[in-house]
Parts: sequence; structure tokens; C-alpha cells
Amino acid sequence: MKALFYERAHIMRITAEAKFETRQRIVSAAIRLFSAVGWHDATTRAIAAKAGIATGTLFNYFPTKEAIAAELIAEAMQRASESFSAKEGEELPLDADLFTLVWSGLSNLREYRKFLGPAAETIFSPLARPSPNSAGDAIRIDHLELVEATVDRHGFRDGLSLVAVQLYWTLYLGVFAFWAADDSPGQEDTLALLDRSLKLFVASLRTDRGDE
Amino acid sequence: MNVSELLAALPDDEAQAALDSEWARARLREILADLASRPAPAGSLHRLWTLSEISAQIALAYLAWWVRQWFSGAEASKRRLMETNLRAALKLFHRLGYLRGAMTKLGQAAGNLPGVLPQQAAEILDRLHCEAPPMHYPLIREVVRNEFGKRAEEMFGSFEKKAFAAASLGQVHRARLKSGEAVAVKIQYPGIARTIDADFRNLSALLLPLRLDQEWDAVKSHFEEVRRMLNQEVDYVQEAESTRLAGELFRPGDGIVVPRVYAEYSGKRVLTTEYLQGLHLTDYLATNPPQASRNAFGTKMYIAWMRMYCAYMPYADPHPGNYLFMNDGRLGLLDFGCVQRYGPEEREIMRLADRMANDDSSLMPEVIRRVCGVSEGDAEYPEYLKMMKESCDWMMEPVVRPGPFDFGNESHFQRGMDWFVRVNRQRTTRSKPMYVYWNRSVFGIKAMLFRLRAQVDAHEVVRQERPKIKREE
Repeated sequence: MKALFYERAHIMRITAEAKFETRQRIVSAAIRLFSAVGWHDATTRAIAAKAGIATGTLFNYFPTKEAIAAELIAEAMQRASESFSAKEGEELPLDADLFTLVWSGLSNLREYRKFLGPAAETIFSPLARPSPNSAGDAIRIDHLELVEATVDRHGFRDGLSLVAVQLYWTLYLGVFAFWAADDSPGQEDTLALLDRSLKLFVASLRTDRGDE
Repeated sequence: MNVSELLAALPDDEAQAALDSEWARARLREILADLASRPAPAGSLHRLWTLSEISAQIALAYLAWWVRQWFSGAEASKRRLMETNLRAALKLFHRLGYLRGAMTKLGQAAGNLPGVLPQQAAEILDRLHCEAPPMHYPLIREVVRNEFGKRAEEMFGSFEKKAFAAASLGQVHRARLKSGEAVAVKIQYPGIARTIDADFRNLSALLLPLRLDQEWDAVKSHFEEVRRMLNQEVDYVQEAESTRLAGELFRPGDGIVVPRVYAEYSGKRVLTTEYLQGLHLTDYLATNPPQASRNAFGTKMYIAWMRMYCAYMPYADPHPGNYLFMNDGRLGLLDFGCVQRYGPEEREIMRLADRMANDDSSLMPEVIRRVCGVSEGDAEYPEYLKMMKESCDWMMEPVVRPGPFDFGNESHFQRGMDWFVRVNRQRTTRSKPMYVYWNRSVFGIKAMLFRLRAQVDAHEVVRQERPKIKREE
């Protein structure tokens, strides 16, 4: 009985490992293909071929190529969130805190940025509210929750209004799109744009709150 | 400098005539009061004013002339248009007082570019947006990482996250090297340096309608000089080199200190130098220093200025933020971004002008021809001759007689301002581009010595320093 249990556990582990390995193979093949032929010309069929699996098998893992890119973005932003949360002891102004969060996410995605620009156009909805079938919904929701918590920590206790959330998301998408195409040295233009966008956002929060 | 001092810097008669329209004067007062009450971008009102006060004096004088021109003899039908222009000008001035960076510097330079129609210049300058907002630490970290591939915490033993001074298009932080030396790290706002050429391209396009003006070539070359100098100012590699060259000009006995550059911690957008401790002008004056101390510091300032001039590298930006009054009596010189570096032609002209001013006034026609492009037979020659004579008289007044000259003498400073306004009004302003910054340098050093109320034996300084001009290249 005990032996049978271990045998089943072993098989399940192998299956999980195999699934994980296939998933990784798909993501890796997609990255190579997106980088080689660009976002628009990379088809799910070609990704499957590059990963050495049937196209149908790919759909068991990712329904669309957007979902593959979304996974990359989600993973990078998750790492950024973790390192950001670990730094919570550091006292910084709100715009500096948000800068750290956003820039850290973009830095994690740096090597993919050439294809993430066009990818983001289909992954993310410009609206901050949930949109049906958008591969980026989960990413957006997680990110906005973290932004809201950060804003709250800086004394904006009433939370973010719908307008403030939309403003932030519009600025974020603008920075993301700009970053993807930014060829300035060290992407210094994106640094400036992000800095100014966040100053604008924080200024609008202060205005809403009636600060001088 | 406070608001009343700034208003006092306006030439009295000109200012009264110029601002006889009560609302204009009231508006100017409002703007200055507002500037004084607003939080400065770098968090320090004092710093803001010390950065711009000389230019503010010059700009105000220029503004007074400008305003007066609009109102004197104007037909009633034109007054509305003029008032609109004045509002634009006041708006421009408001912004100049508040911003740092290229915009501010362009605005300062506008005072040296009277060939451009003022309202057009104002409109153009109004469209340029080159302000550098203060940087928080995460942004600093990225700029440092871009420059050196490492974070500030890794590069330095310690690094103060809060800036202690504003700088041209950036800010300055205290830090300590791992080897223990205290340093000042100047960091530039990302991306701003690369906007200068684009802004000037736009400016050139907007200035095209002026091409038929007879002064166009002079205006164009002056703008080109401003563009060149701004690009030089934002290139910290060049500033490091100018700092090093300036450092070689002074010996310990001079009591003049140029901070050492740490090249391995410096790049295009980050400049690390030795940290010098001392007071800036306003804080020094607040200690109510005795006249002897003022004179000693004033003499060092004048020596430093003269020596750099004789080395063909005039200090083009002598303002209070760039001098440190050190406890041990030494004078610290800071910020060598705005240092002109004369080439062969400029050196030759400088030597010629120097001989004219000091030894041989018969060289004046030759200087006018070389510097202003105006020859003796030309219709405008008499005006240029008068301008040059007045300029020389004012420039040389402290030097001609042995013994201390009182730079705190208001009438001397005022006469220089009046001359400047008059020259602008008459538009006898055609000159080599090198003189755009030379004017700023001369007004800058005299304004510093005026505020210091220093008595300096300028005659003796010039006697000592002039032989250092290299006669042959």
C-alpha cells in the first residue's frame, strides 16, 4: 500500500516536472521566435514547431501568444514586487517608491523589450477596469493593488479614485510603450519620462486631497 | 538677494520710466514676491537666488529697457499689443527665476542677444522646456548605474541621498570614497543634455523670419556660441578637463583652491570632485566680516578671474554659487562647466584687445574691425567707436590707477549696467561670439565684488598677472 502511494507520487511528480519542462520549452521557443521575426510574424504554429511540440499541445498550455508574453511580464513584475516589498523599510517619497517599483519591473524585462512593445498593445487594455479576454488583466490587477497599497502607506488613506487609477494606468502604459522603443543611452529618456509621469500622478493625488 | 534688492538693481531712471504703467510694476512685484515665497525646486530659496542673482540683475535691467521701449511714444492702437507682449515677457521672467538648466541659461543669454526682437525671443524661449526637476535617490541610483555599471552604494563608501546643492541641470551629493576622502558628486538629470541640440534646431527654425535683419549673422553666431557652451556645460568629461586645467594654474601660496577631480568616479553625466568646506557669499556676509577679510577674498577672486583669462580660459560664470569662503582664508572655486576655451583666432583677438586696453589705444579701430566687423569708413563706425571707448573706460577704471579700487562703489557698477542697457538699445552689439560669454564673465565678477564690497588693488593684480598671457602659441 505504502509502496503504491510512493509510486503514484513519483509518477505525479514526473508528470508535473514534464509539464513544467514543456511550458518552459514553449516560453523559451517563443522568446527566440519573437526576437528573431518580431511579435507580429511569430505564429503559435511556428512557436510550437520551434519548441518541438504539436500546435494542439501548445494550446494546452497557452491559449494565445499573448498569454505567453503575459506570463513573461507577470513573472518579471512578480520579482519586482517581491524585491520592492522587501525594501519597505526604506523611507522614500511616494514618487520615488513608485519609481522603484516600475523601473525594477521594466529592468527585469529589458532583454525582451523589442517585442514587448507591440505585444503590450494587445496584452494590455488601455482601460484600468477589467476587460474580457485580456491576457494582461491579472498583471494589471496585481500591479494596481500594489500601487494602491503603496499610496495608502504614504498617507493617502481614502484609496485611489477611479480617475486616479485610470490616470496611473494611462501613464504606466505610456511609459511602457515608450520604454520598449527607447534607444537613448541607458534608456535615460525613459528614466526621465517615468520620473515626470510619477511626479504628475502624485501631484494629482495631492490636488485631489486638497494639499497646498 | 531679496526682492527689494532685486528691484533696487533696476537702473532707477530707466526703471521708473519703463515701469510707469502701474499695473506692470505691480505685476513685477507680484512675480518677485511669488518667486520668493514658492518652494524652490532644490528645496532652498537661498540657493535659487544665489544661482541666478547676477543674471537676474542683468535681466531686470534689460527688461526695464525693453518695457520702456514698448511704452515710449507708442500709439494708443499699439498699446494693447504691447501690453500682451509685456505679459509674455513677465511670464518669461517669472519662469527664468524659477527654473534652472538650459532654459535659464538661454534666458540669461537673451540679454546678450539684443539683435533678436524681444517679443519674438520671449515667445521662442517660452516654448522651450528644459527644466531639471530635483532627483530622488532611486533615479540617482539609475543615473550612476548607467554611467558606471554599478550602484552608488557599491561605488562609494557612503553616499548622502539628499542633495546639498543644485547644479547645472542636476544636483550635488556629498559622499565618501572607500579610501575615506570626502567628495562632492554632481549628477545630471537623465536625457536633458541631448535635448539642447534639438531645442536649438527648433529655435533656428523659429528664427528664420529674422534672416533678413541686418544683424542676423551676428545673432546666429551668438546663438551658436550659446549652443556650443551649453553642450560643453552638460558634458562633465569636458568640465573635468577644465577643472584639471584650472587647478594647474594655482599654487598653494595663492590661497585659491580648485577641487581635485576623481576621474575614475566621473563620466559624462556624473562628476566627482574633492569636497570643499566653506561658506557661500550670503552666509559669509551674514558673519559681518571685517573689511580686511572682504578685501582679501575679493583680491583672490580677482586674481583667479584674471589668471584664467590670461590662460585663455575665462571663467564665464562667476556667480555666488561658484565661490566658497573657506575658514582658513582660502577661496574655493567650484563648477568649471562654463569655462570658455579660446582657440587660436580668439587668443589673437584677446591679445589685441588686451594691448588696446592696457598699452595702446590707437589699436581701437583694428579691434573694432576684428571684433565687430565694422571699419572706419562704415556708417555705424562712430557708434561702435563710442561703445568701445565707453566699454574700455568702464572695464579699465579699476585698473588704471595704483592702489585699492572700491568695487563696492555703486556708481561704478551702475555705469556698467547703464552702458549695457544703452548698447542694447542702440543695437551696437555686433561682435565675435566669444563676447557673449565674456560680457557675462565681466558683469559676473564685478557683481560679485560689488556685493562683497571689496577693495582690490586691481592695478597690481593686472600688473602681476598680465605677463602670464602667452604671447606666442
